[in-house]
Amino acid sequence: MSSDAAAITLVALRKTFGDLVAVSELDLEVQRGEFFSIIGPSGCGKTTTLRMVAGFEDPTAGKILVGGRDVTGVRPYHRSVNTVFQSYALFPHLDVWENIAFGLREARRPRAEIATRVGEAIKLVRLEGRERARPSQLSGGQQQRVALARAVVNRPDVLLLDEPLGALDLKLRAELQTQLKDLHRAVGITFCYVTHDQGEAFSMSDRVAVMNAGILEQVGRPEEVYRRPQTAFVADFVGASNRLRGRIVSAHGDGRYRTEIEGVGERSVSGAAGLTPGAEVTVVVRPEELELSTASTAPAVIAATVTDVAFLGSQRTVRLESKVVGNLVASTGGGTRAPELGSEVGVTFKDEHSWAVPV
Amino acid sequence: MYLNTLLRSVVLSVGTTLVCAVLGLTLAYFISRQGPRTQRLLLAAVIIPFWTSFIVRIYSWVDVLQNDGPLDSLAHTLGIVGPRSHINLLYTPASIGIGIVYSYLPLMILPIYVSLERIDPAIYNAGADLGATPWRQFRRIVLPLARPGLIAGSIIVGVPAMGEYVIPEILGGGKTLMVGNIIANQFQETGNYPFGSALSVTLMALLVVVLFVLRRYQLSGEPS
Amino acid sequence: MNLRRHPVSAVLSALVIAFLWLPLVVVFIGSFDTNSLLTSWTGATGHWYNEALHDPNVRDGFETTLIIAVLSALLSLAVALTGALWWRRAHGRARALYDGLVYARIVVPEVVFASALFFLFLKIHFTLGLPTIVIGHAVLNSAYATLIIQARLVGLDPALEEAAADLGATPWRTFRRVTLITLMPAIIAAGLLAFTFSLDDVVTSYFLQGTSQSPLPIVLLGMIRFRITPEINAVGVFVMFLTVALMTLAVGVFSTAGRLGRSSRKSRIVSLYEG
Repeated sequence: MSSDAAAITLVALRKTFGDLVAVSELDLEVQRGEFFSIIGPSGCGKTTTLRMVAGFEDPTAGKILVGGRDVTGVRPYHRSVNTVFQSYALFPHLDVWENIAFGLREARRPRAEIATRVGEAIKLVRLEGRERARPSQLSGGQQQRVALARAVVNRPDVLLLDEPLGALDLKLRAELQTQLKDLHRAVGITFCYVTHDQGEAFSMSDRVAVMNAGILEQVGRPEEVYRRPQTAFVADFVGASNRLRGRIVSAHGDGRYRTEIEGVGERSVSGAAGLTPGAEVTVVVRPEELELSTASTAPAVIAATVTDVAFLGSQRTVRLESKVVGNLVASTGGGTRAPELGSEVGVTFKDEHSWAVPV
Repeated sequence: MYLNTLLRSVVLSVGTTLVCAVLGLTLAYFISRQGPRTQRLLLAAVIIPFWTSFIVRIYSWVDVLQNDGPLDSLAHTLGIVGPRSHINLLYTPASIGIGIVYSYLPLMILPIYVSLERIDPAIYNAGADLGATPWRQFRRIVLPLARPGLIAGSIIVGVPAMGEYVIPEILGGGKTLMVGNIIANQFQETGNYPFGSALSVTLMALLVVVLFVLRRYQLSGEPS
Repeated sequence: MNLRRHPVSAVLSALVIAFLWLPLVVVFIGSFDTNSLLTSWTGATGHWYNEALHDPNVRDGFETTLIIAVLSALLSLAVALTGALWWRRAHGRARALYDGLVYARIVVPEVVFASALFFLFLKIHFTLGLPTIVIGHAVLNSAYATLIIQARLVGLDPALEEAAADLGATPWRTFRRVTLITLMPAIIAAGLLAFTFSLDDVVTSYFLQGTSQSPLPIVLLGMIRFRITPEINAVGVFVMFLTVALMTLAVGVFSTAGRLGRSSRKSRIVSLYEG
């Protein structure tokens, strides 16, 4: 494997099941050593993509390269890729130690080497003392760690993780997310993680890919995808957003546009690349970027009525209704004073906090 | 002449299936209303005799039913038959019927039990709460829910019973009394293979029709 | 026990259970009867058991039955296992056909199969004897074996086999290290069941035995037709205990499978053995 080859390269990958198109014309590159996540709603094709990389499904068209080597059509047991399954898939008739050693035994490694490597893996996931336990005797979190160790011990080129934290409760998930990140740093293997939970992916990944109905919507660093979504779908998927209707007046180049926003007026707004004058756009403003004031009648201010206030401890979620732009959601700090239900407020936002995407 | 035998086989099969259904339903219902431990015990009591050798079980009925045997003595003691006569049960269609019921009863009990076991006991309480007498409860709750089990059981009992060979052979005294015996006879003794095959095919055709009807009935009652 | 709540069904049930056990008790008691007439009890003796043990007919019959049972059980397992594994991946028509074949073998009267097989062997000029009995038993008992193995197979998580492949196991290794091991309890139970049914079989054995030594049930049948003595009871009691023991074993093996609570040491031995 050449040292500058990407860990995974997908070329025009396509998968259909009869009439259903699960994955359509996917081109993607995952860099060596990075923690990469694919996110999207159920049925978007992320799991199918993962399974094709693992070798459990054959693509209808396109190529898959691992470490620069074409593995399209190569059987899973000949690929240098290992998977952590959503259901863990631990072998019930083997104890923890034997589960982890499984891949090494298949590779016919010498007994001493197996002993050393399995020992290391167990230490890595902190399961010392549980080597002789059966999977049925372990908690969900422990089983998950065994699944991780079992995959990682083989030192694959890529580690695939299919929603591994799905079956755990919130607190455990948060804990394991941290452990996963630590593990990634410790072993340096490329991680390719699939989940429908945007927050989870964002907190752990170096880069994120958003998929929808078989199509890749956007790839980038979490902050980039959050602040500069390229489509309305991505904007919605990665976080709550307020949507305002607008039309491009003129383009400044460098991603900034003069935009006429309904109910607000003409503003200078950043936006997705390639928007042309006259184009209809959705202007996205995150709840935390809306500013509320009592001056509801000043120009370039949206007049709105407070319809609901929810206190969440660290923040306050305020719902508003405006006759001009419809419903809005604002998020203010928990420490500020709560607006009164039914009161009239003025809503504004700064130019740099708005973002235009095609409708 | 052979038509007689065919008719007798059908009558015996239907008759024994009905008897099995009634007895089976009662027992399955009783078992399903017990606690889990008792249920297991009772099921074992039903199944274990089934595990013993078939020949032995049928042969044992020769013991029991013969004149001067235990049943005969009991009949004498109870005064059902006079001191000089006997029950004369053995080697008649009746004894074959008893043999078939005996052999196939567990096969009827089990499917019905499986159907009834699924019933949440709370349903019975609800029924009583709404004013249903035990008999009413039985008719309106147990019977409909036991239906799939009853039909499955009837198939597993009625169909093979039609072609029974060993039971009529042993308990019928070696006289050919059922279709199964005639078929066997044609192949083994008479050597009349075409006739034997024809009979076999007729039997199968008849059964396929019955099976088809019963399966339709069974599937229509099942929730999708 | 809720006896008071259901007096009618309780009484009936008690009677039915007594009905089911009565003959067995009678046979058991009769096997010790000194009087060979079986119509009146004259005293206990072990004489008949002695007779049975030394009766060459009985011994040969038992030996034959055992051989047939072992061979037909193995054949049934082979058919059932390969069939069930194929069935798992099959769809639609093919699958329905296979299910139908299994159902047919269980429901259709044995006499029909026996006569059909008899006819078949005759037509292809295959001599009747031990091999044909083995084949005949396997045809029927493989259906029951199939059901048992299928039941366990359906509960097998497909992800396990994918995981094995993912970790480098070829399809054969996956089968040996994962599938077969998980199926083992079902295979053992199915084998024991096929064995027990074969021990007990009358109709098929009768049709397909030709001129060879008859298996035990046929020997018994002959004895019953010819002359009834408590020796039959003695043999019967012996077979009774044997089949009950085997079936209890089968049930035991199959139900512990669900728990998989074997000690960890066994798991190491399992893996050492498979290398």
